Amino acid sequence: MEVTNAPLSPESDPDLAVGLALVRKARRARLIETAKVGVVWLVLLALLTAGLLQLRFSPQYVFQHADFVLRGVGTTIGVSVVSILIASVLALFGALGRLSRNPIAQGISSFYISVIRGTPLLIQVYFIYLGLPQIGQQLKALGYPQLANVFTLTEIQSGILALSLNYGAYMTEIFRAGLQAVGHGQYEAAAALGMTRWQMLRRIILPQAIRVIIPDVGNQFIAMQKDSALVSLMGVWEITFRANRLARKDSRFIEMLLVAATLYWILTIVSSWLQSRLEKRMAHAYER
Amino acid sequence: MHTNGNPIVRVQNLHKWFGLLHVLRGISLEVYPQEVVVIIGRSGSGKSTFLRCLNLLEEPTSGRIEIDGIVVEAANGELLPESRARARDLRLKTGMVFQDFNVFPHKTTLENVIEAPIVVKGVPKEQAVEKARELLRKVGLLDKQDVHPIRLSGGQKQRIAIARALAMEPKVMLFDEPTSALDPELIGEVLAVMKDLALEGTTMIVVTHEMGFAHEVADRVIYMEGGVLVEEGPPDQIFTCPQDPRTRQFLARIIESGRLV
Ligand SMILES: Nc1ncnc2c1ncn2[C@@H]1O[C@H](COP(=O)(O)OP(=O)(O)OP(=O)(O)O)[C@@H](O)[C@H]1O
Ligand SMILES: [Mg+2]
Repeated sequence: MEVTNAPLSPESDPDLAVGLALVRKARRARLIETAKVGVVWLVLLALLTAGLLQLRFSPQYVFQHADFVLRGVGTTIGVSVVSILIASVLALFGALGRLSRNPIAQGISSFYISVIRGTPLLIQVYFIYLGLPQIGQQLKALGYPQLANVFTLTEIQSGILALSLNYGAYMTEIFRAGLQAVGHGQYEAAAALGMTRWQMLRRIILPQAIRVIIPDVGNQFIAMQKDSALVSLMGVWEITFRANRLARKDSRFIEMLLVAATLYWILTIVSSWLQSRLEKRMAHAYER
Repeated sequence: MHTNGNPIVRVQNLHKWFGLLHVLRGISLEVYPQEVVVIIGRSGSGKSTFLRCLNLLEEPTSGRIEIDGIVVEAANGELLPESRARARDLRLKTGMVFQDFNVFPHKTTLENVIEAPIVVKGVPKEQAVEKARELLRKVGLLDKQDVHPIRLSGGQKQRIAIARALAMEPKVMLFDEPTSALDPELIGEVLAVMKDLALEGTTMIVVTHEMGFAHEVADRVIYMEGGVLVEEGPPDQIFTCPQDPRTRQFLARIIESGRLV
């Protein structure tokens, strides 16, 4: 066989020409598919709009008041971001507890997970919003004012606490799977080098587990943005709270709910897009 | 031949059970400074388990291990309390090289080697880097120092693993079939590095099926079967006139398969 260093070109290599043509054809076919799906979306949106306009739906009202709801987007994102971060920390410790051989760590983490997963998020929200202040009052009555302060939270703090606790429990499984996805040999190599469990975790295991964990945490974040609507019950001025407030005042339920729904929808689409970009970048993380 | 004073490794009556399986059945062994001991034996005879007990990746069921003055004792399936506190000290006396390398994929070649000295021993970074580069030169990987392992061959990964273990300056190097996962054309480069180490006077305990290496480099060859050390001696004696019928049978099978050089 003859080996040349000349760069391959479709002219000099008939195989390459055929391959390129096939790749181009496949790419064009995929593009056409996507375009067709897009057209279907547009048709559905048009039908929906037409239907709503039949029902004395007022677009003017939407345009005049969307701004008020829009100002809640920052709060929704802020609450979700802070909650997902705290939830990740809880989930990490939950996972470590479950994997640990220490009965206290195991007991605390399995109890936490069982209680949270065994009760509705709505009850947890009410408990934190309505139940904690009651505990606070009783502590004050018992003569522990400092302790009572701990149980008196602002609306936003309550919302973040509820979402973090809830998602932390569910995300424990994600973190556990991530930690277990790192090969046994990595734990042994780190141990053989004399690392303590904590050094091993921080320097060797977590950095590798993160690759497995991040995409799932991204999914949880996207879900949480919508579950965060529940904290409107606590009086947090986020998207749902603001939409609801106007809707009740002016009896414009469809209008305001549509605004809120659209905002959540856009948030989800943007987050999903960001997530897929992050995943692509992480796929190359170990390469140079 | 044991001209190097007192043994650096002293194992006494080591036992290991896995559940109902009695894998190590009373192993005693002394290894002297700068000695190269090669352990051979068929699959399942307990070679890996023995090495892994030496650095407590497996906890012995009973027996005593002493390495460079650090003593760890086990009885009734547990390390004695004062031994448990010394477990990490014992580990730091040994460096381990695994069959499947276990290099850290998220770190470059250099980072793999400086990681433990910095994190475990608190060596300043510049000093760790300097030492690591010296080790990488020794194993022939200085030009790959900024590459992640995903870009390297098995032989190169194993040489990183050797440099990584050496960076902790262990008293004894433990090799568990370091070339068994390698393509045949890559075995030589790893064995060459190990031979250099042996010539420099590194104390080594090597489990391997590379009989050529054992013959050439070992000071002492040990045949292991059924969780006991059956026979030991200088390579010439073990390979040419083994005394125990079990050793003879094992070697005969190896000669048949053409693996004895
Ligand atoms: N963690 C474990 N749990 C249960 N049994 C084990 C464990 N590790 C090893 N064994 C068993 O102990 C015996 C000895 O295993 P070991 O790995 O030490 O053998 P080996 O001599 O290294 O064999 P090979 O040449 O195949 O590596 C085998 O029967 C094996 O199945
Ligand atoms: Mg083995």
